[in-house]
Amino acid sequence: MKAKALVVVFAILVAAGMGSTASAAEVVVGALNDMTGATSDVGKDYALGIAEAINYCNDNGGVNGKPIKLVQFDYGYRVPEALTKYKLFKRMGAVAVLGWGTGDTEALAPTVTADKVPYVSASYSGHLADPKKTPYNLFAATDYSSNARATLTAWFDKRWPKHADFGKRKPRFACSYMFASPYASAPIKAIKDQASLLGFDIGPDQDVSLFAVDAKSQVLSLKDFKPDVVWHGNTTMSVSATMRDAYALGLGADHIINLWGLDENLPRLAEKAAEGAMAATVCAFYGENTPMMPKVVEYAKKFNPGVPQEKRLIRTIQAWSNVLALWEAMKRADKAGDLTGEGILKKGFETMKDVDLGLGGAKLTYTAADHRVSGKVPVYECKDGKFQLVQITDLQGRWPDKWQSWLGW
Amino acid sequence: MSTTFLPCGEYHQNYHEEHAWWQTRFIKGKMIALMLALFVGIPFLADEYWLSVCNQIGYTALGALGVQLLIGFCGQVTLGHAAFLAVGAYTSTLLILEFPWPTILLDLGLAYPLSIFAAAVAAGIWCVLFGLPSAKVKGFYLILTTMAAQFITVDFVITQYISQIGGRGQAFSLPPGTIKIGPWVIDSDLKIYYMMIVLVIVLTAAVVNLLRSRVGRAWVAIRDNDISAEVMGINVVQYKLLAFFVAGFIGGVAGAFWISNLAAISPEHFPWFWSLWLVGVILIGGVGSIHGTIFGSIFMVVVMELLQMAVIPLAASYPKLLMDFLFVKEAAFGLAICTFMIFEPNGLAYRWWQTKNYFNLWPFSY
Repeated sequence: MKAKALVVVFAILVAAGMGSTASAAEVVVGALNDMTGATSDVGKDYALGIAEAINYCNDNGGVNGKPIKLVQFDYGYRVPEALTKYKLFKRMGAVAVLGWGTGDTEALAPTVTADKVPYVSASYSGHLADPKKTPYNLFAATDYSSNARATLTAWFDKRWPKHADFGKRKPRFACSYMFASPYASAPIKAIKDQASLLGFDIGPDQDVSLFAVDAKSQVLSLKDFKPDVVWHGNTTMSVSATMRDAYALGLGADHIINLWGLDENLPRLAEKAAEGAMAATVCAFYGENTPMMPKVVEYAKKFNPGVPQEKRLIRTIQAWSNVLALWEAMKRADKAGDLTGEGILKKGFETMKDVDLGLGGAKLTYTAADHRVSGKVPVYECKDGKFQLVQITDLQGRWPDKWQSWLGW
Repeated sequence: MSTTFLPCGEYHQNYHEEHAWWQTRFIKGKMIALMLALFVGIPFLADEYWLSVCNQIGYTALGALGVQLLIGFCGQVTLGHAAFLAVGAYTSTLLILEFPWPTILLDLGLAYPLSIFAAAVAAGIWCVLFGLPSAKVKGFYLILTTMAAQFITVDFVITQYISQIGGRGQAFSLPPGTIKIGPWVIDSDLKIYYMMIVLVIVLTAAVVNLLRSRVGRAWVAIRDNDISAEVMGINVVQYKLLAFFVAGFIGGVAGAFWISNLAAISPEHFPWFWSLWLVGVILIGGVGSIHGTIFGSIFMVVVMELLQMAVIPLAASYPKLLMDFLFVKEAAFGLAICTFMIFEPNGLAYRWWQTKNYFNLWPFSY
């Protein structure tokens, strides 16, 4: 009898779920997040930030009076899973999707382009910034390739002149990342191009898994090349393991890191090994002094009181950046009477010029020809366990003749 | 052909009748109804989302068919089949992107179909390479050698070398219009669905026919007792390798089919978990049953989607349920396998057989 009752309840729930579509009074936004997969070490905080930011948007009028309905799924960083979830979002009438990793974002790029659904991702791959190829892929941050170029340039400007061998030989550079990960490998071509441009000797790449807890063999291989600076392309857990091993084995190189590998957890995990590590972080760290930060902290405390404040990361701010950018675009599109995917892109995002989200990131400018939000990239370094600004690398101003040719890779 | 509407037993008068695909008019009627449902009913009734769910079922079934052949019919346990799907997907993609196709073939829309065939052959040969150890080892040891296929193929060869072709990085994207069969550009879930249905039917029919042949009987003999099979004069190594080739061939077709779903691939599409998942599919569907492969695929995809649907209405009150669903899904996968192993080790196919017999013998099912 109980089993029959359970089946009936399940059937009712399934029927209700199948009938779930957007009502005219609400705007459905889908979100794909990774709470359990390869990038969950940084994905959990990002997912919390997405939900908190949407609550903030709704408390401030939603999309010109229409509440935003967030449908948020964990897809475990599995691409086939992302495909069915995306189709479910479409079925539910989502006008835009807040995506996650480079794997799902690049895989879904042809589909979202065909469907005209804006896909605002936490993947900032440079491949997604060219509107000619991926018009519906957007993000509220400087792209991985620009970040990589800017960070290497900052190291070259600030650290190399202080090196004992400065002026005697070329600086040596190598990369450590998971070859199989589209996220980790996305900026490799760009950073090697920048290394060539700045006159580095480039060493062999080291394949380090996103799940790595030990990278001694890769560090020993690096020691043969004796790099002055190593690029780490993975996420925080893996990067901290590699840096610890580099410290223990006396590699003697400086570390520059892609933004998903440097956050508040890095100094906690890598301790002394993290000293001096540099990265382009794209926005302020959690709790820093920026105009919107009090709201971020308020909503974090309000909606996720069980998560201690000291555990919150810059990933929350990255999530807020994407949500606030999409919110702004949706409000503009709605005001223009076209709250569709195409409207959000053309009458929303591509009308934004120097929009400051108040989260410490670059001012956002999207055009129909270029979805890179800015050519000015702030680079931070880790000092005594804290992060401080090293320089703002103006890639567009410094290499104006090359800037356009760097679009899309 | 029997003229009985509901035959309650098997009573063939000659071998031709016994070997017929559709042995009674009733069965013929059922199959015509099934074809109508597949080719007309589902495309007419299903929306884009449910079509994509059907396509996932088809992709799972194509992948699991090779696993079923190896484990269920030839007794060669494999835990690395996603590697052969990857070989198929990459072969097809690279042929479409890089091969200098003659203009006439491109105009006739034959590049993708030919690439599917080439992908299948490449995956078949690659599968044979990893089947070679089966000449010497079996059981747990064979499981480990097939797992090696996953890591060598996906994590090493494809990631380190194949993905670098063209200097693109890791992910390959297929430009719109390149996935084309004859005059039809495969650019919607409906077209993908039709392609999937044709592939599943053709390959299932091919495998069923193979199993009815000398080759199939040899495989079953090897599965049941390889020493006895050898004593009977069956060349065990040759037939095992043939099984690996056919399983890899089917896996290659599945991989080549997968690229039509996304028009993009990267090594992340073929994780080891997917190899494990395919084995789960045949365990739940029924080891040693072609029906089981299809039932297992439907179960694993549809039940998970229905669970997802059941969570959505609750999300209004408990928003975190949506995010926590993947935990539920993983748990459901594990629970389903345990439950079937304990309560229905013969899988869904056995239940289907029981149900069918009940109705065939009704009202005198004693």
